[in-house]
Amino acid sequence: MSTVVGGAAASGSVGGGPLLSVRDLSVVFGRRGQPGFTAVHHVSFDVAGGEVVGIVGESGSGKSVTSMAVMGLLPARGVRISGEARYRGRDLLTMPDRERARYRGAELAMVFQDPMTSLNPVVTVGTQVTEVLHAHERLSRADARDQAVDLLRRCGIPDPARRLGEYPHQLSGGMRQRALIATALACKPKLLICDEPTTALDVTIQAQVLELLVELVRDLGTAMVMITHDLGVVAGLCDQVNVMYAGRIVERAGCHELFARPRHRYTEGLLASIPRLDGDRSLPLTPIPGTPRDVVAWDRACAFAPRCRFVTDACVRGDLALAPLGPGHDVRCVHPAGGAAPGAVTATIQEAP
Amino acid sequence: MTDHLVEAQDLKVHYPIRRGLVFDRTVGHVRAVDGVSLAVPRGSTYGLVGESGCGKSTLGRALLRLEETAGGQIVFDGDDITQLRGEPLRVLRRRMQMVFQDPMASLDPRQSIQSLLTEPLRVHGLAEADREEFGADSSASHLAKAVRMLELVGLPRATLEKYPHEFSGGQRQRIGIARAVILNPELVIADEPVSALDVSVQAQVINLLEDLQDALGLTYVVVAHDLAVVRHISDRIGVMYLGVIVEEAPADDLYAEPLHPYTITLLSAIPVPDPVAEASRERILLSGDLPSPANPPTGCRFHTRCPWVRDELCRTEVPALREIAPGRRVACHWAESIAAGRLAPDADAVVPPRGD
Amino acid sequence: MTSVTPASFTPDEGLPRPQSLVDAMGPALDAQETGTSLWAGAFRRLRRDPSAIVGAVIVTIFVLVAVFAPVLAPYEPARTQWANQITPTTLPPFSAEHPLGLDSFGSDFLTQLIHGARQSLIIGIVSTLLGLAGGALLGGLAGAFGGWVDTLVMRIVDILLSIPALLLAVSVAAIVGRRPEALMIAIAAAQVPIFARLLRGSMLRQRGQDYVLASTSLGLRRRTIVMAHVLPNSLGPVIVQATLVLATAIIEVAALSYLGMGSPDPTVAEWGRMLVRGQERLQSYPHLTLLPGLCIAVTALGFTLLGEALREALDPKSRR
Repeated sequence: MSTVVGGAAASGSVGGGPLLSVRDLSVVFGRRGQPGFTAVHHVSFDVAGGEVVGIVGESGSGKSVTSMAVMGLLPARGVRISGEARYRGRDLLTMPDRERARYRGAELAMVFQDPMTSLNPVVTVGTQVTEVLHAHERLSRADARDQAVDLLRRCGIPDPARRLGEYPHQLSGGMRQRALIATALACKPKLLICDEPTTALDVTIQAQVLELLVELVRDLGTAMVMITHDLGVVAGLCDQVNVMYAGRIVERAGCHELFARPRHRYTEGLLASIPRLDGDRSLPLTPIPGTPRDVVAWDRACAFAPRCRFVTDACVRGDLALAPLGPGHDVRCVHPAGGAAPGAVTATIQEAP
Repeated sequence: MTDHLVEAQDLKVHYPIRRGLVFDRTVGHVRAVDGVSLAVPRGSTYGLVGESGCGKSTLGRALLRLEETAGGQIVFDGDDITQLRGEPLRVLRRRMQMVFQDPMASLDPRQSIQSLLTEPLRVHGLAEADREEFGADSSASHLAKAVRMLELVGLPRATLEKYPHEFSGGQRQRIGIARAVILNPELVIADEPVSALDVSVQAQVINLLEDLQDALGLTYVVVAHDLAVVRHISDRIGVMYLGVIVEEAPADDLYAEPLHPYTITLLSAIPVPDPVAEASRERILLSGDLPSPANPPTGCRFHTRCPWVRDELCRTEVPALREIAPGRRVACHWAESIAAGRLAPDADAVVPPRGD
Repeated sequence: MTSVTPASFTPDEGLPRPQSLVDAMGPALDAQETGTSLWAGAFRRLRRDPSAIVGAVIVTIFVLVAVFAPVLAPYEPARTQWANQITPTTLPPFSAEHPLGLDSFGSDFLTQLIHGARQSLIIGIVSTLLGLAGGALLGGLAGAFGGWVDTLVMRIVDILLSIPALLLAVSVAAIVGRRPEALMIAIAAAQVPIFARLLRGSMLRQRGQDYVLASTSLGLRRRTIVMAHVLPNSLGPVIVQATLVLATAIIEVAALSYLGMGSPDPTVAEWGRMLVRGQERLQSYPHLTLLPGLCIAVTALGFTLLGEALREALDPKSRR
């Protein structure tokens, strides 16, 4: 089901290969000629057809920038993007804008966190859904309308015919997010990128929206990239999980493997620090010390080192790689949890006094 | 009888809806809090959960007399403070404090941390207990107390000269907490104290709140939408829906055996960071959205979305919050039948476990 | 009691960081920006902004010229010379004594321009200060008290606002008469509603902020909250607007004096009146019109640049 991606990146071949293959994607903010800020550094991952790949991280981890870069939604000025993002073998990053626009909506779609800002406030919901249909398929006005009604109904919007004539502000938050998903699904995309799709919603509404997404994957075979900070959402939805910290992937594994045996100290710390609804209340939480602002540049040391309880001198090295620690389990850590680090790294470890 | 620090009886907070060209006229009321009774024992933590618009934040502020009440009573330490105003209310405020959701918004951006921390002391003076240690009120004794508070919340002394925008969210929240407890209050109401913070930092603040409670003997009312957080730090939890408490229970019992249909659906909707548990979790989905609190449904407020809704009673009779077991209060006509499994939810609402 | 230090809470300092890591981290982010208040931060951003510097240079030159006009100007503004050389079609040529020549009345043109700056500055600044004071008073009342005071004040302001600014100025000038004070009052009257609405809106926005609720819950007095917290935080947009309004005020001073509402004393130099006088000889001596026009435009531009840069520097979104 899930494409295993080794530390040595799997080849992005066309036939039978992954649907989306991101290789060494880097995004640097800043004018040309200036050092700039590296928001995303050499991120590689694959998404196979029908697969749900999670990208987890906190604010500033680069998870959203990754998706924006893949979709070509970052501004051209002041941003340097390198690497490649092949969709069915065609590189989305170097593709001309017009060609990418054809892909967007028809094959690739994106759902954002805030439905109010991603829907046009002065255009009715119906127009926004049918607009997408018109842009990619030749349809009569009546046919487009029928399809739009059907789409809204499938997305769990009650009384869809009436909703078509309403404006985004007349809908509640949950309805708006569903309308946004409906526009994203209008042309049955092969790949849906969701950036914190339920963060702004209440839990009962979140449950409805997540259920809708699960059905999509199951019934239409849509592949999905799920970007979120919520480990609960990841656990319930994803096949493959990438954990990002300070712009780089620090751990990658299958969902069950990651939650059962987190190896990176950041992932491990994150899981120990969140209160669980089904956990033992009497046990104190073990927080990760410091703040996400306590970072060190990756080219000098592990960026998580300033907050890590297991830090040693060996962590101060600029060439820490994402290395395989087990089948389908890659970790970027000198002292991974539950066992020895990969040979290449252990060779240089000197125990701290 | 238990020693309750703060109590509410049939408390109501209504916001007028105003319209008008020249002079505003009241055309209706949003019933943000509509008849809530609760009691918080001294030294304990009471959690208030519910979704946005349920009135939990308004209730929290009303307990501190930061909202105009439309009816009912607030009793603080045995005294009815519902009608208290002016100077007596202002003096009382040193005993009850608040921690806010967004520490950036709740700290005046122009004030240095030193000014922010000593401001409450300049207004009220040092607490009796602190006079022995820090001496009489003076800028020196206030500064010493501020430094002590920073130590207590784990921030260095150098913090004093800085300004709120120079800190990360977690550090700012610690400053907000230091400011709230610097007067040695008895009651602290924390409104979504961790929801604006990064996941990796939330546990720090939760632990800090717990440690401060132990150290200073504080009584908390914690308002939050994250049931896992509330369950972790509360002794007792009240679940709110559309301005009323629908269920109240000790923290462990609420998760182990939710009684109200809303609590059941709420718990079933929360994703757990564990793929194994997720695969075996049965979800009960609610249909539709929250009705308008300006025009709440008749009868039981939850009947428009309740998967267990019956034709009898639900649409006509308002269910009372009644005690059906020791320490367990629930506002549902059919709670016993649902608990005993004699009533099943609407099959359309139930999503079977996803399996693997 | 308060001497208990929470045990399970780990402050940043408690972390076992090896020295090599500390070296690699370099100076902490916190150490670089120690104790920078909002205003200090805004000032620092302002200094880095090229358009702010250009604006500030223009404004400074303008103010210096205006203040030291009697010293800088080569002649008395009222003095006329060589009147015999002025005909309806010709003026004396530029010379070392008169670098910009003479105007139609035989006054030194450079002197006129320099003294014109003085006139614009005095009227512009005084009128803006008056407008600011009136507007801030009204807006402050509405913002501080709310309720019926707010409704009443804002209706008055709405009425003021519905009258076109220039028309209002002309009417005030018509009532008070042709005096410099009339100009000031006229221009100030047009500015009052702008400042009133701005300050009121700004204060209402601040009053809705959590820190005001926090101050209330801490038991601060209402007066303290408004005067020490709400008002200072509301001033940013008002200061920006005042700078921008100065630009319009200078244009309005010129416009009113162009329309003949300026000083009744014809010997007082005003850029607006210079424009009118220059018009007659626009074909033969365009510099008589162009130079005062340029002065008005450049000065207004200076204040606008400075105001816009100030707005950006004070914008909380552009912080850090």
